[in-house]
Amino acid sequence: MTAAGTAPASPAAPGAAATSGPAPVAELRHVSKWYGDVVAVADLSFELWPGVTGLLGPNGAGKTTSLKALCGLLRPSQGEVRVFGRTLAGDSALYRSIGVVPDGDRLYPRLTVRSYVRLHADLQGLERPGAAAERAIGEVGMEALAERRLKGLSKGERQRTKVAGAIVHQPSLLVLDEPMTGMDPGQRAHFMDLVRVLGAAGVTVLVSSHILAEVERLASQVLVLVGGRLAAEGDYHAIRDLMEDQPRTVMVRADEPRRLAPGLIALPTTVAVEVDGEALQARTRSVAAFATALPRLAHDQDVSLREVRTTDESLEQVFRYLVRRR
Amino acid sequence: MTRSLALFRFSFAELLGGRFRRLLVVLLLVVVSLLLPALLNSASDPSDFMLGLFSNVVLPIALPVVSLVFSTAALGGELRDGTITNLVLKPLSRASILAVEYLSALVATLAVLLPALVAAQLLAAHGLGLAALLKGMLLATVLAAAAYCALGMALSLWASRALLIGLVYAVVWEGAVVGAAPAASSLSVRGYAEGVLDAILRGSGGPTLDARLGPVSATLLALIVTVGALALAVRRLARMDFR
Repeated sequence: MTAAGTAPASPAAPGAAATSGPAPVAELRHVSKWYGDVVAVADLSFELWPGVTGLLGPNGAGKTTSLKALCGLLRPSQGEVRVFGRTLAGDSALYRSIGVVPDGDRLYPRLTVRSYVRLHADLQGLERPGAAAERAIGEVGMEALAERRLKGLSKGERQRTKVAGAIVHQPSLLVLDEPMTGMDPGQRAHFMDLVRVLGAAGVTVLVSSHILAEVERLASQVLVLVGGRLAAEGDYHAIRDLMEDQPRTVMVRADEPRRLAPGLIALPTTVAVEVDGEALQARTRSVAAFATALPRLAHDQDVSLREVRTTDESLEQVFRYLVRRR
Repeated sequence: MTRSLALFRFSFAELLGGRFRRLLVVLLLVVVSLLLPALLNSASDPSDFMLGLFSNVVLPIALPVVSLVFSTAALGGELRDGTITNLVLKPLSRASILAVEYLSALVATLAVLLPALVAAQLLAAHGLGLAALLKGMLLATVLAAAAYCALGMALSLWASRALLIGLVYAVVWEGAVVGAAPAASSLSVRGYAEGVLDAILRGSGGPTLDARLGPVSATLLALIVTVGALALAVRRLARMDFR
């Protein structure tokens, strides 16, 4: 794994001083944030370049804290955040080029979709706020619901409205915290298309998620947070390869699991087998090969299978594995 | 400027919409019920009645309640609901966000109280009545509303129960404590309003108040409280984390 990939020239930073070489669009330098004795993120450093970057991590890994520090909602206890080469503290003009979809609902329930997005356009001081709002509503596919009040919308529809508010001023840096929460599959697909188009157009997009499959379809570059620290960063596929290599545990309940053990341990992908009463736990490097072999073995040994499931599929365990591999 | 105007329009509409409509209806009912005895009893002097209404009902109850409800809701509601991120993630300094929210709370307060006062005076006096009384009531209301709103804004950034704390200040401190120890009126917004009203009434030939503070000290103290509370609020908002 490497640092965040290639470094194309950053887009014109609003009012930024000219530099001798390409500079990241945004960067965290040794950022820590703690609340009393609780450390939310520790010594976090990364850079963002144009294109889509995924921020992965299990719940409680520090994704939201990192995003909030990046966009100025939280002041780091230690370290520095720079956006377009400048610090955000006291420089509200930078928000002309930043769009943020924060976590939580954070909507005004009495407003309609149109008036909410229009409010964002007005607060950005856009020259044609009405036209900008209509374009943003169209981009998230909410035209048909534009006159509906936000309190009557589904979670996914409210999320799309938040995205429209965040992109109404066509920002150069877009920060999205779990933006697909509550969206149905169709809405997710539409949203992912939108993010990919923005990334391809040179917008720097940082999108957080705890769902690997979402990030896989969105971003080639990822940052992986575990326990408030950066566990891995770089190309998604390299990280994915490491995950594929991780042995997984499969739990089998059967009437006589002891009779399955010799056949399972003989599989080349099996790492270990343990039997405890009617339960058998196998560690395997290929769940697919295990799932193919198990029914045949059960048939041959005349064993009735009652339950078969993997027990360590959670992201947290995958990430812990990544941390151990570093 | 256009961003600030947009924020003002939005904040003002939010304050006067929704649940605050119910508050306004209740307040109007209270004012009307207070006016009814005067309308039915033509023997009472309109100026005496209006001054009594202002000093016994508007100053101790209506003015602090309306000011504190609006001012603690302006930013406090945004903080409670998390919607403040919609504002701070915009090209607006936090000081200008606070200033605009303060102005919207103040204008909403005055939009409720000033017409009610004028209407009450018109009804009670069957005309404009004593001009000095009306002028004094309006000026005292503006001065006190400015101070209460500043206090409400600051409280809402420091405490989750800002409205309750503000009302305890208005009832316990300005009512009970200042009543028992008049020297404490130098720390009472109601005392500042009474000082200004009393100064305007003196020499008008009408009724007067027994105010503890002179007009200059009352005005200066009100300005110091207003500016001080707003400065504290700006400092707090500028350093605030939004978790």
